[in-house]
Amino acid sequence: MNTTFGSFTVERTVPAAPARVFAAFADDSEKQAWFQGPPGFVSKAPRTFDFRIGGEEFNAVGLPDGPAHVFRARYYDIVPNERIVYTYEMYDGDTRSSVSLATIELGADADGTRLVITESGVFFGDPAEAESRREGTEFLADAIVTHFAGAVASAH
Amino acid sequence: MSIEFGELRLSRALPAPPARVYAAFSDVAEKDAWFGDEGEQIREHTLEFRVGGEEHLSGVMPDGRPYRFDACVYDLIDGQRIVYGYDLHVSGRRISVSLATIELAETDAGTELTWSESGAFLDGLDAPEWRVMGTNGLLDRLGGAVAAHAPVE
Repeated sequence: MNTTFGSFTVERTVPAAPARVFAAFADDSEKQAWFQGPPGFVSKAPRTFDFRIGGEEFNAVGLPDGPAHVFRARYYDIVPNERIVYTYEMYDGDTRSSVSLATIELGADADGTRLVITESGVFFGDPAEAESRREGTEFLADAIVTHFAGAVASAH
Repeated sequence: MSIEFGELRLSRALPAPPARVYAAFSDVAEKDAWFGDEGEQIREHTLEFRVGGEEHLSGVMPDGRPYRFDACVYDLIDGQRIVYGYDLHVSGRRISVSLATIELAETDAGTELTWSESGAFLDGLDAPEWRVMGTNGLLDRLGGAVAAHAPVE
């Protein structure tokens, strides 16, 4: 048994109003537009999305011939356009690799929305998993910014 | 609308073997003996102690305010580790969401317990320092509960 702990904060300015950014987390089809694995990953199991307090979200992705990277979240607190509090588990195949508490905070600023993601996790097995969680969240935060930057560009 | 993030890590030497301490978490009647503040009235407590299972506890605090604890078990290693998430409501408002990890290690004297938590404390209604105080109180009560069951040598 090897248990380690780690926490981090990721901040971005997103070029869209808080209500739009919130919808990117709350709406199934909007979330699918940016919440994806690295290039080449495919879906490994049917996904579920139940964005409400007490609801769960599940997806499993990976390379076609590789193991599934599984994400299973449970929503604890939702304040529309302002914050989302959830926990999520990550699995490598059938093995649970981490459980994290995460908060997403949205605040209006001159350029759109200040997005602050704070996570604190417990990691089972490889202590490097803590750093890979941060990298994964940085990757997704960039994906949100790109998603809205593209929308701004195509509107002009 | 605000979130204050906080973490704690507390350790205790307990005078009972890990299996005994683990049972104080896994058995609802045993958990009732220590989980809560002195003077609290537990009204209802259900526990499905398995991965994916839920725990629900509601009661009244010594000052008369109703509270509710709702948890979901995420990871278990029998006799060694318990990971669960939970939120707390007081007077009908959610005051915090937390992730807790309990680790048990066998020692000559019994068990070294390490309790690690991270919490999102909401809207100034709950605070990391109160959680440290509350968890220390729980550990005091847990220590008493498992000592009372310790085998006589």
